[in-house]
Amino acid sequence: MSIPAVEVKNLTKVFRTGLYKDYVVAVDNLSFEVKAGEVYGLIGPNGSGKSTTMKVVLGLMAASQGEAKVFGLDSGDIRARHEIGFLPENPYFYKHLTGTETLKFYGKLCGIRGKELKDRIAELLEMVDLENAAKRRLGGYSKGMLQRIGLAQALIQRPRLVILDEPTAGVDPMGSRQIRDLILKLRDDGVTVFLCSHLLEQVQEVCDKVGIIFKGRMRREGPLEELISIEDQTAMTLEHASPELLKSISELVEKDGKARLVETGRPRTTLERLFISIATQKHKASKDE
Amino acid sequence: MSKESAEKEERIAPADRKVPLFSLGRAWIIARGTVTQLIRMKTLYFLLAFALIIVAFGNFSLGGTAAKELSTIKRACFGAMDSFAWMFAIISTALLIPRDQEDRTLYTILSKPVRRMEYLVGKLIGVLVVIGVFLALMFVVTSMILIARQSSFIGDELSAMDQNSRMSQEQRIAQIEFIQRQGFRFELGISAIASFLKAAVIASVTILLSTFASSSLFTIVISLLVFLIGHFHSLANSFYKYHSGDNIIVQMLLKLVKILIPDFQLYAFSEGIVMGGAVIYPLVWQMGLITVGYLVVFLMLSALIFVDKEF
Repeated sequence: MSIPAVEVKNLTKVFRTGLYKDYVVAVDNLSFEVKAGEVYGLIGPNGSGKSTTMKVVLGLMAASQGEAKVFGLDSGDIRARHEIGFLPENPYFYKHLTGTETLKFYGKLCGIRGKELKDRIAELLEMVDLENAAKRRLGGYSKGMLQRIGLAQALIQRPRLVILDEPTAGVDPMGSRQIRDLILKLRDDGVTVFLCSHLLEQVQEVCDKVGIIFKGRMRREGPLEELISIEDQTAMTLEHASPELLKSISELVEKDGKARLVETGRPRTTLERLFISIATQKHKASKDE
Repeated sequence: MSKESAEKEERIAPADRKVPLFSLGRAWIIARGTVTQLIRMKTLYFLLAFALIIVAFGNFSLGGTAAKELSTIKRACFGAMDSFAWMFAIISTALLIPRDQEDRTLYTILSKPVRRMEYLVGKLIGVLVVIGVFLALMFVVTSMILIARQSSFIGDELSAMDQNSRMSQEQRIAQIEFIQRQGFRFELGISAIASFLKAAVIASVTILLSTFASSSLFTIVISLLVFLIGHFHSLANSFYKYHSGDNIIVQMLLKLVKILIPDFQLYAFSEGIVMGGAVIYPLVWQMGLITVGYLVVFLMLSALIFVDKEF
């Protein structure tokens, strides 16, 4: 059995506040496991303990009780950091550095040097579609660009686990789509992705497994398909169906006696998909001109 | 990373990786980043302003004898260099760490295989490199001004002496040597080094404060207070001794202050050098060692707080 990428066991994090030793329980006896190679989404409202859990996994915070392990190592162990790439929520990297300089800085911190680093930077800039902005200072980057350069810095040392905190927060639909595509590409490359978000639709699009956290406790957890499917209902989408065919189907359902037709109608696209398709068409048209 | 080396990396299990207790290389990467950050924060304008002030000051005619005028220029220039060094040390150090924390840049740095001590040492080295380079440049500008004014004064003095035929050759040489003593000497560099050492100590104190302070403003104010109190150690000592005699509580309090707050008056030896005094090299070495001692103590204290700090 392979070692899990992340293993959180009975994690509790308590924050002391004020001089009178008041305390807040941010995470309460939380346990979950992220298998190597899967995309795991920890979802919950603001203040539910997602970021605290993430910080404990990253070793930026110590657990009050319980433990967090990354590929079998205690999360506080510096050796575990070689395996982790992290993109914080709303990252503000050094604004005075260019895209290339930023990646060079983080690459060197991971011990990568010379041609190896140069090649990796070029590869990542291409991957996050920032080749044209490589020499521009980060102070002039848009939010989506910052998020993408952030993702590139997280991947600089080829980590086996990527931790993303609200990766699409504040990013426009196009930028958001690019980030989701990158997450899917990472999964295809065998990288484990652990992401925290409260943007449920986006989590649904990329995650294999989801944990729902509320007030520091895990409320439900499991493979996405299991969690969101309604067990006693079946959906059927038809193309070019004539009114006669639809009538026959309805009659068949009625005849069955046990089955019930809950809803018929035209499936709808989302506003986001519509926006992306229009924007992509416009982008292609302007390129052709 | 090439494909081959990436594959090789993959074969290394996390538990088998060797991470040194302290990597000077990683600290140096942080230091280089800090230098770039400070330079791109347009701190070079400080240097330009200093150069303009010194050039303007060097061209004023202050009145009095040549030696007195040279001495005044020297004191003003080295005083400005010293003030620049400690002010820059406090402000830049107080801004760097809290800003990294506020911008979450610290999260991304510490989530890489970087030890917190390496981060602190890197930041300190970065600030000290900038101060060192700036002080060296300021010293060059000051020296050029001093040399220019010195030659002009000597030229004037020689022509005045030529008109005064009653002066003997020995008297003429003594007069020129007297002016030269107040002008440029390589030993003046020791004074710049003393300013650097003092700045290094206050920068390390500021690092310690910024590891637990909640804002840059708080760090700057407390660092300034520490710097101020650090200049009155001996004065406070004699004052309290005079008024409280052998009161144990006062004695303990004084010892505590002496331990917690560095004695910046120790670096006042540089003023004597600027005034034309001789350099006592054993004292310079001793000051260097004391500075290293202060740096080690304050960095260790900073690390003790910073290692367990939660972000």
